[in-house]
Amino acid sequence: MQRIVVPGEKIAGAQIRIENTISDKNGTYACVIGYFDEERKMLMPLEGLWQPRPGDNVIGVVEEDKGTMYIININAPYKALALSKFVDAELAPGDIITASVKQLERGGTVMLLRLTKLEGGKLMSVSPSRIPRIIGKGNSMLKQITDGTGTKMVIGLNGLIWMRGGKVDLATNAILKIVEEAHTAGLTERIKNLLSGNKVQ
Amino acid sequence: MGGGEKPELMINGKRLDGRLADQLRPIKIEVGAVKNAVGSSYIEWGNNKILAAVYGPKEALPKHVQNPEKAIIKCRYQMSPFSSLEDHGRTGPNRRSTEISKVTREVFENVVLVEQFPGSEIDLYIEVLQADGGTRAAGITAASVALAASGIPMTDIPFAVSVGKVGTDLILDLNKIEDNYSDADMPIAIGPRTGELLLLQMDGILTREEVKRGVEMVKKAGESISKLQSDALKASYEKTIQKYQK
Repeated sequence: MQRIVVPGEKIAGAQIRIENTISDKNGTYACVIGYFDEERKMLMPLEGLWQPRPGDNVIGVVEEDKGTMYIININAPYKALALSKFVDAELAPGDIITASVKQLERGGTVMLLRLTKLEGGKLMSVSPSRIPRIIGKGNSMLKQITDGTGTKMVIGLNGLIWMRGGKVDLATNAILKIVEEAHTAGLTERIKNLLSGNKVQ
Repeated sequence: MGGGEKPELMINGKRLDGRLADQLRPIKIEVGAVKNAVGSSYIEWGNNKILAAVYGPKEALPKHVQNPEKAIIKCRYQMSPFSSLEDHGRTGPNRRSTEISKVTREVFENVVLVEQFPGSEIDLYIEVLQADGGTRAAGITAASVALAASGIPMTDIPFAVSVGKVGTDLILDLNKIEDNYSDADMPIAIGPRTGELLLLQMDGILTREEVKRGVEMVKKAGESISKLQSDALKASYEKTIQKYQK
């Protein structure tokens, strides 16, 4: 059984530790608007922001070159920094990069590691809560899109998607469809139809 | 309190607009009225029409207002110049809107999990398009829906209603005339999950028993408001689910 829950809604009579919930002596309650899976005991948020965690892959846009470090906009409440000595390529403001989060420092800056410049292509912004669905279980959905369109894609957990080559427009449409229908059943089948050019319901 | 001669507010147990003492005005809530906002809502509460929009969390600026422990909430309640029969013609903050912005902010500081976003700010805008008494209560109700729709983690979806006194009767959800001429007016905001009082203001005089009775009336009426709020939040998602359920 899956159902949509809103903040403050009771999802269990006992205290259980689930992400995006709070619990007191009377039970466990949802903290965000989300999709609650009764069997797997998981609450998937339907909206919301990305919270930086070490190891997350993100896409960012270089905002400023400070000489010893770059300041990067990563679509979060925090500014991201990357030390120049760990970056191979010469970056300029406006360049698109992909990197992984090293840590979130006190005071609200994100340190980035392993920067790679993404040349050309197109950047797309979606709600970060939809990213897990776009990737799919074991990359299944992402693989379906890249195979179907021939587009090279890099997905950032912060809600930015970079793509280049192939049928970019078709890939964009597929992603927009996932964003809109992320919480519905049978989505994989409909994306398959969309990519193969069949009539989509 | 209004001046001039006081009109009769309760006639044969019914109020001027035909409602019973503990009856709410009709309420309609929509989610997603402002597309640019992270979360938004539009409420029609009797003749009140209010837009609420949420932006953020984003980096708090100017830097000295940042709190390294938690997010700060900035709230702006504003009546549009054309919203009311009374003069609200001057734009910009005034004594009344500053006060309401402050009490609204304090309601949400108690339900939003601000500790999850250190150093950031959450902007909350409440814009009254048409006013007919009880706009701070309706504004809080709308703003909590907007916040929940934005996906910002919060422990509860608060609602607010006002209670007033006419003669010896307590009345729920005062409109403009009742607000001006009643003996007391007490807006109350409650978090329905815990039953916590998040806002309690009073204009006029009520006895202890009347305050207790008023809070109970608000809690009872709140069940229907909470249901409207969560239905509005779920509506758009359930529509897409039903479309593909066959």
